Parts: sequence; structure tokens; C-alpha cells
Amino acid sequence: MPVREERHHGGMLQSIARILLVPGWIIAIAMMLKGYVDIGDGFSGGVIAALVVLLQGLAFGADELERIPASRFAPVLTIVGLALALGTVFAPLLFGKALFTHWPPMNEPATHFGALEFITPVLFDIGVFLVVYGFCVGAVVAVARAETRQARLRERARIQRRHDIERSIHTENPEVTS
Amino acid sequence: LDIGSLANFNPAMVLLIVAFAAPSVVALFGALRPTWVPNVAIVMSALAFAVALWTYTRPDALVLEDWAPTWGMFFHLELDGLARMYALLATGIGLVVVVYASRYIPLHLQHAQRSAGEMARFFGFLLLFMASMVGLVMAQDMILIFLFWDLTAIASYFLIGYDRSEEESRSAAQMAILVTAISAVFLLIGAVMLEFEYGTFSLPEIIATGELRGNAAAAVLLVTLAALAKSAQVPMHFWLPRAMAAPTPVSAYLHSAAMVAAGVFLIGRFYPLIALSEMILNILLVIGYASMLVGGIIALTRNVLKQILAYSTISQYGYVVFMFGLGTDAGVAGATFYVLAHAIVKSALFLTAGAVTEATGKKTLADVGGLARSMPALAVGSGLAASGLIALPFTIGFFKDELFFAAESDRGPLFAVLAVIGAALTFAYITRFWLQTFMGPLRTEPRPISGYLVWPVVLLGIITAVGGFWTEPFVRIANAATSVSAMTDIHIKIAYHLDTRPENLMAVATWTLGTVIYLTRRSWWPLALGIAHLGERFGPSHMYYAGLNNLNEFSDKIHSIEVRDLRSRVATILLPAGVLVGIAVIVTPNSNSFEIGALEQGDLPIIAMLIATAVSAFVVVVVRDHFRIAIGLSSVGYSLAAVYAFMGAPNVTVVALVVETILSMFIIGMLVLMPRPILRFETQVRAEKRTIPRDAIIAGIAGLMAFFVAWGALSRPAPSTEVIDSFAVLTPAVHGKNIVTVILADFRGFDTMGEITVIALTLLGIISLLRSGRLR
Repeated sequence: MPVREERHHGGMLQSIARILLVPGWIIAIAMMLKGYVDIGDGFSGGVIAALVVLLQGLAFGADELERIPASRFAPVLTIVGLALALGTVFAPLLFGKALFTHWPPMNEPATHFGALEFITPVLFDIGVFLVVYGFCVGAVVAVARAETRQARLRERARIQRRHDIERSIHTENPEVTS
Repeated sequence: LDIGSLANFNPAMVLLIVAFAAPSVVALFGALRPTWVPNVAIVMSALAFAVALWTYTRPDALVLEDWAPTWGMFFHLELDGLARMYALLATGIGLVVVVYASRYIPLHLQHAQRSAGEMARFFGFLLLFMASMVGLVMAQDMILIFLFWDLTAIASYFLIGYDRSEEESRSAAQMAILVTAISAVFLLIGAVMLEFEYGTFSLPEIIATGELRGNAAAAVLLVTLAALAKSAQVPMHFWLPRAMAAPTPVSAYLHSAAMVAAGVFLIGRFYPLIALSEMILNILLVIGYASMLVGGIIALTRNVLKQILAYSTISQYGYVVFMFGLGTDAGVAGATFYVLAHAIVKSALFLTAGAVTEATGKKTLADVGGLARSMPALAVGSGLAASGLIALPFTIGFFKDELFFAAESDRGPLFAVLAVIGAALTFAYITRFWLQTFMGPLRTEPRPISGYLVWPVVLLGIITAVGGFWTEPFVRIANAATSVSAMTDIHIKIAYHLDTRPENLMAVATWTLGTVIYLTRRSWWPLALGIAHLGERFGPSHMYYAGLNNLNEFSDKIHSIEVRDLRSRVATILLPAGVLVGIAVIVTPNSNSFEIGALEQGDLPIIAMLIATAVSAFVVVVVRDHFRIAIGLSSVGYSLAAVYAFMGAPNVTVVALVVETILSMFIIGMLVLMPRPILRFETQVRAEKRTIPRDAIIAGIAGLMAFFVAWGALSRPAPSTEVIDSFAVLTPAVHGKNIVTVILADFRGFDTMGEITVIALTLLGIISLLRSGRLR
């Protein structure tokens, strides 16, 4: 979240943000992985994951977003997610099947690991998760970066101006000082 | 290399792969070694030409792969006589033009002080054009034909607009793509209509039925119109002279053997269907002859070298269309042979115009002259090509006119006279073109130019002359192509006969009349010029510009209304949406089933949450502080989420909740970024008194329509429950228990795929905008 540097960040908000980070991610990932048998899917999972990361930015300032790898590389995650989803869509072509043919086929048993089933729709949903997560975080990080860069440019321009004025005073040039 | 094993490959597939490898390899070298690009292009087009020649040693071949079989679409290529001829022209003339361009384009870029790195763009698109042409001529599935057809239009757009810093060049490219791509939609509509009548996109299957069912004649007419626009036939001819803004090699290629040839190719490909309709044949006759006359008369009045040739191309393709319109085997044979002979001579003449301009720096007939002494090779080469075009004996061109005259005189004396008049015009303007360029007083001393700009012309001239004696290969190529269009084995016989058969008399009459027209040019010049002016003032090009300007002004007006202020922005969304939805409600059958259902006790929580939604929505329009508006908006969303929950839709509830949360976060984040004084100012802005009634009416219409749509939708049970039911049955079979997720990831996965692609692209857009622009 783009946040002004001089703002006071409440201790309560910071603690809650930190406490929520890991459980939030677990809920998000669970929602995505179990979407096929329970409420939720890659989309909701992705948004929730993005929310807990953006909460860190809200609580600790924009710099915190640059420190967390999961937000620094959010655009990359979007691309990875899109590649994963499109790969799932197009891979059946290699086996002479129509697009979007999922595996295992209908009415055939799927491999289990606990409640998790190894089926290709889950892969597709992971792709959706990453795209949505990457979009929400990536857009905010991009705005925050542009904001920081402009603040830096403004600061540099201000220093330069003061420098110019000081120099003109030094050379006692009344036209510039006025 | 084991030549024997080559025989095992499918020649159609080999030709397609080699042709499409050419632009890819050029693009690769454009990235790695830009200076090698011209030579790589020569090698690749030579390879494609060699393969096209090699296909003549192979029997006909078929490629038939599933593409979208459930929609009746197949990747269906066939290498037949027609495909071989046009592929040979596209690659052969392509090779000559690429060799010429390998010296021309570097000089062209140097004159304009552009970097040599832009060469790859030229050769890449030229070879892409060649490849799509090769694909087009082999395609048998109508959707595949349409795809390759549009690919040629795209490549031609970039080629014609190659000098992108020139306004003229950009508008010429825009005009060419508007005319040829809008007409390409006719081809698509025609294809879909034919599929509707015959149940297949496969052209050979439709032709095999041997009849025009239902609306098929209209469909074929649409296809024919697309072909005529591409071949620059009256009244869709105006784009071609403008396209001369392109570098000369582009004109030489597109307007002799490629782009305009694609149009008559399509007529040849659909000819078995076209021939079934007397109406379409008559249209071809009229349009073909009109193009012959208009092109010929205007060509007489032009002064710019390339403009003469441009109008000449319109006129020459008029011959071809005119012959197709006869509907006889002789007509088809004449048309096909004409395309073959014309491509060779016309490309030579375009290349001549380029070489002359490069040597003298002049572009008009009035500024050049007497070049034969200083550029003898070019004079001889283009002289042979010009004699071919005006059908002097001992050139391949003689026979094209013999076949033309024979086919026309079969139809009757009127057609014979029309044919002679048209051909005499050609004789006159080509004579004027060549004589005034190479004979007479020397007006501009030429600089020496590279042999690469001269020898291609000489080569094409020699081919023209050799074809006048050794006709065998040309006849074989044309016969094979004609037999496909006419659907019977055609064997044209061409030879010199020293007797008084009609075609000989017509040829003599043409030369005589043409000479008279040329010699008396002072007397009819004002008349022809007047016709040309009339065409410019009131003709189709005027209508094109008027239409384009009006469209632009209309869109500007709408835009300025839309962006005036925030209210007008909202109104331009609400009002059209309200009106359109209103129309939909009125025209939908059973839309008057507005019922007031019974109120049950279980509905109370829903009613309560809906009231909460309405209250929050009302708060949003009353409060002025931005932060409160944001909070109000998100409470609208949260109360709606609660409604979904009470209705028993947990998945929708979850999505609504998370989306509402992140949206509120985004909105408040945006408010933080906005300068405080602006926000404070905005809260004090009041609506203008006089616009309030208007805004109220717009809001009322949009709100009422939304109300009636919601009411009508809720009064009826959801339609198409079978689909939902089948999804519910299938869900356990595909390892799912949550039908919503299964629909998103499996049943309707294509929608999801499209949506996430858009999301990813939007993110790319945001990032690149923020990198290059300023935040505020």
C-alpha cells in the first residue's frame, strides 16, 4: 500500500498483520487446493493471499512490500501462473486430445494424498491463484514504486533548487535570489 | 542430402513449412545480424522458389488434419495445378523482387537517414506476405482461406506503410487495409453462409455437389466481392494508386504477382461455384470491363511513373475479371494465362520505374527521357517487358492477348470491339511510358546504379521474350491451373498463325488503334483528364474520405460529450445501457411475466439485508466526503454478500467478500495518493442547476430498466436448467464435489482461461504505464 513515510503505524495493526500473515496464507492455499471438494477456488484463494500481504504494507509501510519476496516478485508469479494455467489447457494437444481435457479421465480414480487429489484441474486452479495474487499485489507494488521514485525525484529537485539559490546568494546575484 | 528420401515428404507440407520458415529466419537474423538480412532473404526466397518448382515434379498432394472437427473445420491443404501456379508466381517474382530490394532498400533507408536495422521489417513482412500467399493458394477449408487471406492483408499493411514517418504512406496503408480487410469480412460471411447451406467448410465438398443451394448464390457473390476489392477492381480500385507510396519493390511485388493476384486467385478457386450463377458472371463482366476502361483512361493521363503502372494494374486485372465473366472454358484459360504472363511483365515494369527513379532522382515522365543511351540494359529489359504487356509478337504477352481476343470474339462482335478498345488503351499508355522514359531528349543525367537494380528487369525481360518462342512450360503451368478452375482437362494451344483468324485481326486492330491514340494524344488529353478529375471529385475515393472524416467527427463529438465531466462520463455509460437493456426487455418474448411472489418467513433475513444494501447505496449519493463514500460503497458490497449467503450460495459469498475487501483497500489507497486540496475542493463542487433535470432523467431511465430486468428475471425460473443439471450429474464423475469450481476449472474453463489472460495483460499494462509515465 502506498503510505506516507511520516505516518504513525499503530503497534496493534502491526502485531495483527504479522500474526495473520502465515494463517492467512494457509487458509488461502487450502481454499485453492480444496476448491474442488469445498467452498472456494483459486480466485478467492489468490485474493485472500494478496490481502494478507497487502496488510503488511498497510501496517509497516511500502518498504515492507519490497522486503517480502512474495510481493517483490508478484508480476513474475503472474506470468508463472498464466504459463501454468495455459500449459494445463494446451498440454492435452501433445497427447492428441482436445484442449482442456483434464486428467485423470472421467470416472477413473485419482491419486489421493489425504484430502488432496492429484488432478489437473487443481494445477489449472493454482495457475488462477498465482495470476490473481500476482495481479492484486503487483499492481499495488507498481504504484508504490512509482510513488517512491517520484518522491525521490522531487526531493532531488528540491535539494538542487536550494543549492542553486545558495550559490546565487554566494555570487551575490540579486536577480536570481529575488 | 539424400534426394531420394525427399520424395517421401508431402510436397504441400514442405512448401508451406519452407515458405513460413523464410520470414521467421529473417526475423531471427534481424535480431542477431541485421546487416545479413538482405542476403538471408535472398537465400530463403530462393529456397522457397526451388521448392515451388520441385512441386511440379511431384503428384498432387493433400494435407488433411483435424483442426476444430466439431465445428467442421479442418487444416485442409491441397497442392493442385492452381496452387502450383500461384505459388510459383509468388515465390518466383518474390525472389526477383527480394534480389532487387537487397540493394534498393539499404539505399532507400540511407536516403531517409533511417537505420539499417529496419531492413528486417521490410524483408520479414515481404516474406510473410509470400508465405501467406503460398498458404492461401493451397488452402481448401474456407476458414483457412480466410485466415491466410487476412494474413496477406496484415503483411500488406506493414509493407505499404513501411515509410511510417511519411503521412502519405501511413494513410495509404490505412486505406489499403480498410478496403481489403473490410471486404475480407464478406469472405468470412460468405464462408459461414455456405457452411449453413452445405454443412461443411470444405470447398471441394461444396463444389462436388455441383449446385447452388438456397442462399449460396448470395454467399458466392460476397466471396467474389472480397476478391474484387483485393484485385483493385472498380469501384474498390482507389486504394491501389495510393498504395504506390510504398517503396518500389513492394509495389512491384504486391501489384503484379501477389496481393492483387490473390483476388483473381480467389475467383479461380471459387470458379466452379461462380460459374453456376449467371448473375455473378454478369457482374464480373461489367466490373471487369469498367476496370479495364477506367484504369486505361486514367493511366493515359498520369505523369508519375508508378501511377501509370498502378492504373495499368487495375486495367490488366480488369481483363482477367472480364474473361472470367465470360463463363466459358476459353475465358477461364485466357484469364489464368493472363495472370501468369502479366505478373512477369508488370513486375519488370515496376522495377524499371524504381531503377529510373533511383538513377535520376525523378519520379515523373516529364522529368525523364532519353535514358536508353546511358542505361541500355534497363531499356532493353523493360522494352521486352513492355512489348509483352502490349502483346507484340515474339513475347509471352502476345499469346495472353490472343487468348483474350479468342475468348471475347467467341461471345460475339460486341465483345470483340470492347476487347480491342480496352487493349488499345493499354497499348497507348505503355508505349507512352516506355518511349518517354527511354527515347527522346535526355532530361536528367542518370547516376550509375547497382546492377542488382538492373539485372532483375533484364532477366524478366528475357523470360518474356523466351516465352514468345518456347511456350511449352508456360502452357503446361496454365493448363494445370485452368483445369482446376474449369473442372475439366483444358489444353490450350498457342502458336503463331499467319492468317486472318479473328484474334489476329483484332491484334492488328489493337496496335493500329493504340498507335492512333498515342499519336493523337494532344487532342483527347483534356477529355481523359476531365474523366480522371470527375472520378477524383465524385468517385469512390471521395466517398471513402468523406465517410472516414464523418466517422472521425462523429466519434470526436461523442468523445467530447463523454469526457466533459464526471457526470457525463457516468451518463454515457448509464443511458445507453439503460436504453439497450430496455429494448431487450421489450423484445424478449414472455417478458411481461412480472409477478409479485408470496413473502415467506425464511425470506426475512434476505429482505433485511436488501434494505441494508439500499440504505448504504443511498448514503453513498448523499455524503460528500470521499472516505465515507468509499465505506458506503463497500457496505453495499458486504450487505449483498450477506444476501448471497442467506440464499445459500457460499462460493459467491466468499468471492463477493474478498473482492469487496480488496476493492475497498484499492479505493482508499487511491484516495491516499490524491492531493488533499483537490479532494477537499471536490467535496465542495455542486452540480449545475440546469443539468440536474437531465441527470435525473438519465438516472431514472437506467434505474427503472435495471429494476424491470431484475424483476423479470426473478419472476421466471432460471432457463436452460438442463445444462445446470447435466453439470450437476457430471461433477462427481470428474472428481469434484463443488460444482462452481468444477464449472470454472473444467466445464467452462475456456472462459476462465480468457479472463486470467486479460488479468495478466492488464498487470503488464499497469506496470509499463507506471514505468514510462508519471503517477500524477
